Amino acid sequence: MQNNLNNWGMGMFRDPALVPLPYTRFGRPVALLMLALAVSIGPRAPTAATVAAQAWRIDEARTSIGFTINAAGYPTTRGHFRHFSGRIVIDFEHPAKSFTNFTVQADSIDAGSPAFDDFIKSALLLNAEKFPTLSFTSTHVEKVDARIAQITGDLTMLGVTKPITLTVNVDPEGSAKGRAVAFVATGTIVRSQFGMIFGIPLIDDALGITVKTRALSDE
Amino acid sequence: MNDAAAWPAALRFLHWLSAVLVVASLGLGVIMVQFTHDTAARFELTQTHKSIGVAVLAFTIVRLCVRALTSAPKPEPTAPLLQLAAKTAHIALYVLVLVMPLSGWLMVTTTPVRIPTVAFGLFPLPYPFAPNLPFYRAAHTVHVAAAIALTALVTVHVAAALVHTFIWRDQTLARMWRIGRADRT
Repeated sequence: MQNNLNNWGMGMFRDPALVPLPYTRFGRPVALLMLALAVSIGPRAPTAATVAAQAWRIDEARTSIGFTINAAGYPTTRGHFRHFSGRIVIDFEHPAKSFTNFTVQADSIDAGSPAFDDFIKSALLLNAEKFPTLSFTSTHVEKVDARIAQITGDLTMLGVTKPITLTVNVDPEGSAKGRAVAFVATGTIVRSQFGMIFGIPLIDDALGITVKTRALSDE
Repeated sequence: MNDAAAWPAALRFLHWLSAVLVVASLGLGVIMVQFTHDTAARFELTQTHKSIGVAVLAFTIVRLCVRALTSAPKPEPTAPLLQLAAKTAHIALYVLVLVMPLSGWLMVTTTPVRIPTVAFGLFPLPYPFAPNLPFYRAAHTVHVAAAIALTALVTVHVAAALVHTFIWRDQTLARMWRIGRADRT
């Protein structure tokens, strides 16, 4: 061990204390077996009921989180958030067990010009300095028909959490089981409920949100 | 009787500076409201429009002070009725050039969409009144009506200068542009 600290040659990979986890001193085949066991019997291990609920990767290049809002005498304002993260868990057998959450960075707003973005980030609207993120966490998913679901969840904006409902168009792509699923979720946020009252009534209280995303599965 | 042939240099400078700023601001106002269908672009143009308005107000106040403290050249001889018309038009121009930025200031102060005005990105314009929708609508009406009146009057003003120069062939425009005839003799 002491000797190995100064030895950056191939020898270090044989030192059990320094190799990555799967390569234990029991040897590689044993480690792989243990890993397989951990996956199959661990807390997230599939049982008959949960095998269909799987977490999908979000295709970030095909994801956009945007809004539109109208104001008297103004063209419709459109914008989107450039930085976000999210999770999607889909259970086709039991849609109610599906789940999603998204978090967007308030200061990543892009509404078309730097000066306009700075204004939207200011304390009058998003107050990005004090509330750096906006998030949505689903609480209830209901299948409406083969292609449409309703997702109710908690939206947190300006530090206020309120339920909103989104209508989601689900478009499975690829093979029978589906390797990718495209979603378009639309809904309305009544911003005054979150304390964002700037410009009302010249600027509408209700703003539209559209989340387009694509979930990918390796399986 | 005042025999000065040309306007004082400070007033000539302020006149042409105002001309550029007023025309720019009227043009920008029309472009941003009538022809800009993108909110972000309109936001940026409006910020510039407001900055120009602050400059118009500041330079007009300075200009009126200089005007009060200096003597104007004697008008070129024309019919008394035309002289009265010219005098009235000039007073109206001063009034409108003040009403434009003041009504604009009232608009940005009383609108519920109270976007800060940072003149040329340098200093924030104070907003002395609380948002008030009826006040805003009244200020907006005054601003638009004054803009139309000012556009008409500027057209008449330019036309009159051209008539003075090319038909009556007098020094009216020359002495706003450069040192007049009398100074050169």
